[in-house]
Amino acid sequence: MKARFFWIAIGLASLAAVPFVLSQGLVNAAIPMLIAALFACAYNLLCGQAGMLSFGHSAYFGVGAFSTIHAMNALGGAGLLPTPLMPLAGAAGGLVFGAIAGWFATQRSGTYFAMITLAIAELIHALAPHLKGVFGGEAGLSSMRMPAWGFTFGTTNEVYYLTLVWVALCLALLYLITRTPLGRLALGVRENSHRLSFLGYEVHRINVLIFAISGMFSGVAGALQVVSNEAANYVVFDPSLSAAVVLNTYIGGVNVFLGPALGAALMTFFGYAVSDLTQSWLLYQGLLFVLVMMFMPTGLSGLAVLAIAAAKRHGIRAVAPAAALYLAAFASLTAAIVFLAELLGRVFSQDYKALSQAAGSGELPPVLLFGWSWSPAGMLTWLVPLALMVLGIVCWRTAGGSLRRQADAAVSNTVAAAVTAERRPA
Amino acid sequence: MEHLVISLLNGVIYGLLLFMVSAGLTLIFGMMGILNFAHASFYMLGAYFAYALQGPLGFWGAIIASPVLVGLIGVAVERYILRRVHHHGHAHELLITFGLSFIIAELVKLFFGNYPVNYRVPGDLDFSAFTLGGLNYPAYRVFMGIVAVSMFVAIYQLLTRTRVGIVVRSALYRPKMAEALGHNVPLVFMGVFGVGAALAGLAGAVAGAFYTTNPNMALELGVMVFVVVVVGGLGSLGGAMAASLLIGIVTSIAVGIDATLADLFSLFGARELAEQMGGIFVLKVSSLAATIPFALMLLVLLVRPNGLMGGKG
Repeated sequence: MKARFFWIAIGLASLAAVPFVLSQGLVNAAIPMLIAALFACAYNLLCGQAGMLSFGHSAYFGVGAFSTIHAMNALGGAGLLPTPLMPLAGAAGGLVFGAIAGWFATQRSGTYFAMITLAIAELIHALAPHLKGVFGGEAGLSSMRMPAWGFTFGTTNEVYYLTLVWVALCLALLYLITRTPLGRLALGVRENSHRLSFLGYEVHRINVLIFAISGMFSGVAGALQVVSNEAANYVVFDPSLSAAVVLNTYIGGVNVFLGPALGAALMTFFGYAVSDLTQSWLLYQGLLFVLVMMFMPTGLSGLAVLAIAAAKRHGIRAVAPAAALYLAAFASLTAAIVFLAELLGRVFSQDYKALSQAAGSGELPPVLLFGWSWSPAGMLTWLVPLALMVLGIVCWRTAGGSLRRQADAAVSNTVAAAVTAERRPA
Repeated sequence: MEHLVISLLNGVIYGLLLFMVSAGLTLIFGMMGILNFAHASFYMLGAYFAYALQGPLGFWGAIIASPVLVGLIGVAVERYILRRVHHHGHAHELLITFGLSFIIAELVKLFFGNYPVNYRVPGDLDFSAFTLGGLNYPAYRVFMGIVAVSMFVAIYQLLTRTRVGIVVRSALYRPKMAEALGHNVPLVFMGVFGVGAALAGLAGAVAGAFYTTNPNMALELGVMVFVVVVVGGLGSLGGAMAASLLIGIVTSIAVGIDATLADLFSLFGARELAEQMGGIFVLKVSSLAATIPFALMLLVLLVRPNGLMGGKG
């Protein structure tokens, strides 16, 4: 327990130190990371804890965002609440809308539930551009952060700290909810809702409650985005946001409490970092998601847990070679896929078509990629990704083999020890 | 009057198109319990393959080859991806197909660009079938309707009149029992998945030429197809047909209505009140057309949770 508090304190302290250490641009990028982390954790309360797979969570994020912008513009621009408390408006919006939508959606479970959440989100998404008074039409609504409590909220750093405080508070609350009887009942809903209703619980009421709470924290995330952007547009209801939270949550791993936050922060950061370098970021995100779902359903955090457990059991020195091999395999496979995707993306682009037409019929001009020029008809261009892929698979296989041998050795050691112990009774 | 007939016809044709895509989806769901999120992506792939093959094979060759290719992709997806994760449960499979739909959309953007491609109705089908009240009705719409209806008849005959159909239906109804009787149920699953994907591909190849072929077409149609299968009842072919037609007709007629909810209220003398409330009360039905299917779906789920013709819940 003490160790856990220690790590939490370290984490919070390093997050608080961010504006002193990193550039303003990175602080600016850290705000959406924090917001995405909170959104993913709020989503995970529903899908990871209670096992209700929602494909329309952008609706609650968006409702939170718009309630906040209306609260900020209320009373002639003075705002309904002081700026630091603005996310409460988003929380209220998310809670109310989550309760209504949840009442509908949790009538059914499983696939039907997923479809209803999708339909509700699409309903809002289709309706929003027409309701100009509420959602501001195509242009959206904008607002101003008012100074409050001695802060001007004019600088990025102040907004960062405001976001950090709210995200930390909400994550703590979300964690505490998992420790309450309601949180335990959510697990029960996931595992066996029939049994729960035989035990005398009203499953529908529990479901609605969990749904509404998840909607509330999603609303806070939406509110924080509005506070940081000072604007909201009906684009927040876009299905791509719902998709992103699903991908982030599962890439991070639903079994560990902070897993989704980790996944969301990582994915948002990479999205920010590579957005000017590649057109295909969403492709990589989708590929990563499918690979994670196929080969390590517990996600990145589950993988970390597994690695730590293996290191504790066999000793770091014994596991290190396998881990290094896995890393090498991952790196070379990633390199191969990125190389192929970027190459194909460039070869099939509009510019390249124009270029090859200008060069004359049948001519394939070389493509500039990673500082070298590659000819699409050249052997080497295709050998590089192929070699990387083969290398990756070989590393993967070797690592798996060495881990298996170790596990076998560990088992035979224990057996040998047991046999010796039996032969020499104390 | 002509206007109503035309929009009714358009609605029926759009409904038939919806049915072509939702038929495979609902069969796959009924059999394997997987709601295939990537199903509409197969529709999109069908359109893009037909567009790409149009040059070498001509329009008719492309329309035949493209569903075959899409069907093969469907078989590969079932065999190498879904079967591997089957033991993790249906939610897991749903998530995988969700990821696949994401990947397919991005790959399409990678190869064909993030804009509509120039896939058009061929010249020899680009004439008007008949004239109604001064409006020409395109023959290609009629062609799409014929393709969909003949497909429905073919599937129906296949499922009800042939031996293959009996095996498929028994695998759909009691997979364990069918397997115990010596039928290769995994093969049947793979076949149904492939055929379902091919049907969606055919729909895409045919409809892509008439509507636009762009990387968003999967998402736009996909959501509508989910509505269709839920309204019709997951797993029911007849339900899918009824719901497709219902949604096709309702949306295409709603687009032509200029009335608002305030007009409805004026029947009770409450127009002023409704207009004061503004918002949704003064929106024209035509601009609400896109939302009607979703509202309909929520309504059906509340009143008849298993859908219009759904059997098992």
